Amino acid sequence: MQNLLKILLRYSNFLVFIALEVAAFLLISMNNAYPRSSILSTANNFIAWQHAQISEIGGYFSLRSQNEQLAAENTALRNRICSMDSAKNNAPIHYEQAKVVQMTTDQLHNYLTINRGSKDGIQRGQGVRNEDGVVGIVRTVGRNYSVVQPLINTLTNLSCRFVKNDYIGTLQWDGKDNRFALLTDVAAHMVVNPGDTIVTSGLSPVFPEGIPVGIVENSTLREGESYYTIRVRLNTNFKRLKYVEVVQNAHQNELEELTNGMD
Amino acid sequence: MEWTKQFGRYIIVMLLQVLLFDQLQLWGACHPYIYVLCLLMMPITLTHSLSMIIGAVAGLVMDIFCNSLGVHMAACILIMFIRPYLIGAIVNDKDRLNEQISLRSIGMEALIKYVVILVLVHHLTVFSLAAWSWSHMGFVLLETLISSIVTILIIIGYNAMSYR
Repeated sequence: MQNLLKILLRYSNFLVFIALEVAAFLLISMNNAYPRSSILSTANNFIAWQHAQISEIGGYFSLRSQNEQLAAENTALRNRICSMDSAKNNAPIHYEQAKVVQMTTDQLHNYLTINRGSKDGIQRGQGVRNEDGVVGIVRTVGRNYSVVQPLINTLTNLSCRFVKNDYIGTLQWDGKDNRFALLTDVAAHMVVNPGDTIVTSGLSPVFPEGIPVGIVENSTLREGESYYTIRVRLNTNFKRLKYVEVVQNAHQNELEELTNGMD
Repeated sequence: MEWTKQFGRYIIVMLLQVLLFDQLQLWGACHPYIYVLCLLMMPITLTHSLSMIIGAVAGLVMDIFCNSLGVHMAACILIMFIRPYLIGAIVNDKDRLNEQISLRSIGMEALIKYVVILVLVHHLTVFSLAAWSWSHMGFVLLETLISSIVTILIIIGYNAMSYR
């Protein structure tokens, strides 16, 4: 017993080191799993407030282009109201406008924080888009702020389809350039041309069908491989992202419960 | 009194880190983490365990700001663990090393060795854990190199300026 205590005492520093590192790695593994702690993230009010202040200061320097963007957005929104009125019965979708208060674009796991949270009806798993196309998926929700995992995050997968023939593929980001992503799972027998338009597939309730994602930049088919590597130029310019809309599908919970019930 | 000074410096450095350096995003591969300055310059009279715990807390605070739970924490604990052994290995004249690690107490050569090694270890740990896969190794090494150079220059510069 005494010997054991002596040994423990002698290696106490090393034991503290191991214990602390284990705690750190637990946090990392929690972070990489989908349901992560929302307390220690930028959805946390204080940190988000600080990011909001920084974005506020930086905002003055881009007022002009923001105004232009807002004007264009207003017009487009008005147009959309018209089309939605006519198709009201089969599209139970509500768009919640939000502002991006913090964002990274140059890391492998990029995230952005928006100034809408649970009090505005934001829920985990809802889609986020802007005027140009798909932005990402809500990952963590705080009361006033939420964290969105954008397309330019190596963890993101998005089911897409070609407009011309409804062929389905999966969009992933390779972590290199925030203007491009890769479309995988497209079999070699299909003909892919640069300029083909890619939109959301509508197979999951996260995004309705047909939201623009990007256009094919180039495609390569290595000898002996049966799937294309397709480089897609993303419609959304993540470097200039300021205003986004959260897609709130009234039937999302019901659809997810139905699919979960299948397992 | 010493601890108020340490804490005050930590606050200022963290403000610079979050308000200035995290916003820069230079060339896409330069993320200097200058907050390690506070950890490197802590008095060596601290017990080993306590310094690792301080490292863990400082890392966790940084993690909260950059949405990378545990990454900075792991790296900071690691450098605080290595620190006493490293000082023992590179400082020959232990008599002059009474409390502070500074240009005056250990000299330029030892200081540069100390800062370069610990910053490289810290940055390499942070970037590899953040990437979390071997497939991005080349980019991780580039990121480590560029960011470390900036951090090292800033820490050495800080020491040179406070020499007088």
